[in-house]
Amino acid sequence: MAGNADALRSVIADAASGVALALRGGGGPDAVSGILHPDNPFAPAAVRVLGADVLAPYALGHPPPTAEAGDAQSVRMALAAYPPGADASEVSVWSYGGLAEAARRFLPADGALPPVPDADMAWTGTDPWQRLAHRVSQLAALAVPGLADGLAANLAPRVDDLSRGFVRAVRRRDWLQAAGVGRWLARLPDVPETLGLDTGLVFVGRLGAADPRVDLHVAAAQRFFGRGR
Amino acid sequence: MTAGAPEDSDGADLVDRVADGALGWLDARRDRFRLPADIAEPGVDVDRTLKPLGELAELAGLIASVHPRPELRARAEGLFAFAWAQTVDGGVFAELLRAEPHATYPVEIYGVFARAGLRHPDTDALVDALTRPLSWRVPRSDPTRSLGVLNAEDRTRGGASEAWQDDFAADYARTWLGLLPEPWALDRRAAYGLTHDVFHVTDWGRHRDRLPAEAAGYLRLWLPTWLDCWLDERSWDLAGELLAVAACVDVLDAAGSVDIAAAWRRLAAAQDADGGLPETGAEPRPADPAADFLACYHSTLVAAFAATLARTAPVPALVATEAAR
Repeated sequence: MAGNADALRSVIADAASGVALALRGGGGPDAVSGILHPDNPFAPAAVRVLGADVLAPYALGHPPPTAEAGDAQSVRMALAAYPPGADASEVSVWSYGGLAEAARRFLPADGALPPVPDADMAWTGTDPWQRLAHRVSQLAALAVPGLADGLAANLAPRVDDLSRGFVRAVRRRDWLQAAGVGRWLARLPDVPETLGLDTGLVFVGRLGAADPRVDLHVAAAQRFFGRGR
Repeated sequence: MTAGAPEDSDGADLVDRVADGALGWLDARRDRFRLPADIAEPGVDVDRTLKPLGELAELAGLIASVHPRPELRARAEGLFAFAWAQTVDGGVFAELLRAEPHATYPVEIYGVFARAGLRHPDTDALVDALTRPLSWRVPRSDPTRSLGVLNAEDRTRGGASEAWQDDFAADYARTWLGLLPEPWALDRRAAYGLTHDVFHVTDWGRHRDRLPAEAAGYLRLWLPTWLDCWLDERSWDLAGELLAVAACVDVLDAAGSVDIAAAWRRLAAAQDADGGLPETGAEPRPADPAADFLACYHSTLVAAFAATLARTAPVPALVATEAAR
């Protein structure tokens, strides 16, 4: 079991590195396609963990993958294998929804893709700032232009609270949370200037560099929203 | 309405219980603030003698002049008068200044009493002579410390001149509060500097309107996250100082609900039944009374101070949170 967990972690890390590289212009989405090839038994689970981010490079305008491409197949398999159950958490429903939305946008429309589930949004208004920032960081993959626009609209009024969450995460040296919240803040309007989001993203990216997912979030903030340079 | 405190009567009761318990704890241990007879001799550790007494005087003096409840004011007045008596009505400062004519701390602590109109002629004459040379300004390399020294000058010599105000503004501009840096970069040391920037600028919460609008907006925005961090670490002393700062700016979140009320409840829960509040919750309070005093006196004093500021009327909201965005 431990071996499986390590293998999954390693696939996730490789795919995250590949996406970050693609976002920085150092290779097309194909690199990710190779890592997430369906021959790899951990590919669908890795896709479910990384969510919409496995398709993020296509948001840069690359031509869509063919239906046979490795990542396209793995995304379909992940969507089929991990539909959120009735008792799934809001975060789980949202991240699945992000993957489903990205699949509909970036994959060829020839196969049957599952619908984007209705996800509860009440928490964006009611969560205390600490909890809000934590959940939003878990949904960092949805901070892509044009994706989850409704969520972005609902988070905009909480920009001060998310900024507080960024501060809290950095002070706790929780780089993954800081990078995830920071990526969302990069997308949102009216981030307090005194937060220092740009220097903060650079800081988090450097100190959290050991985790490729931190690097991926910082790369997304830079490439999609021009922050953290 | 109270400033930065729980806003119902239960909330006022809560902060008053904190202040009452803390003052009771300090009063019961006032002998531990006594100065040794050889205070001006070389080798006496002023950090364990004069510094605690000076802090007692500064904060008890504030509580005595602004707390809304007369019995708490009376208790604080008693502690303030005790502190003045310990300095032999200010004569100790003349001794200290003769022994260490270039030290700033005797003038800073004398300034606490001078502010309240308590003077000693010999000390006054020495302060006047010793604070004139340019060298007096040299040790002020840390801008936050500089603000404290400048305030001591103002308190003892009075009549802040234009040059004094320029100096104060220049030093303020180099402090954390003057620069408003990234809030995620605030470490413990910087946080203590920041709280003292606020205390010096507002004269320990007496003149909250002296806080520039940008600084007040910055504090409103980021205090909730700093409080959360240091309460989680059970750093009661620093959390108490941050609550005192919160009272100076009347922190409200976007929804208008007060995050600060929860912080007050956490601090109150950390206060022991005897009124003492340890600096940190990292380990149990020492069994030895002298060690326990050292582990608790500052945070207990700060709790009484913050609880007092939280119960005094805020200045009308100067700015919206937008001011320092």
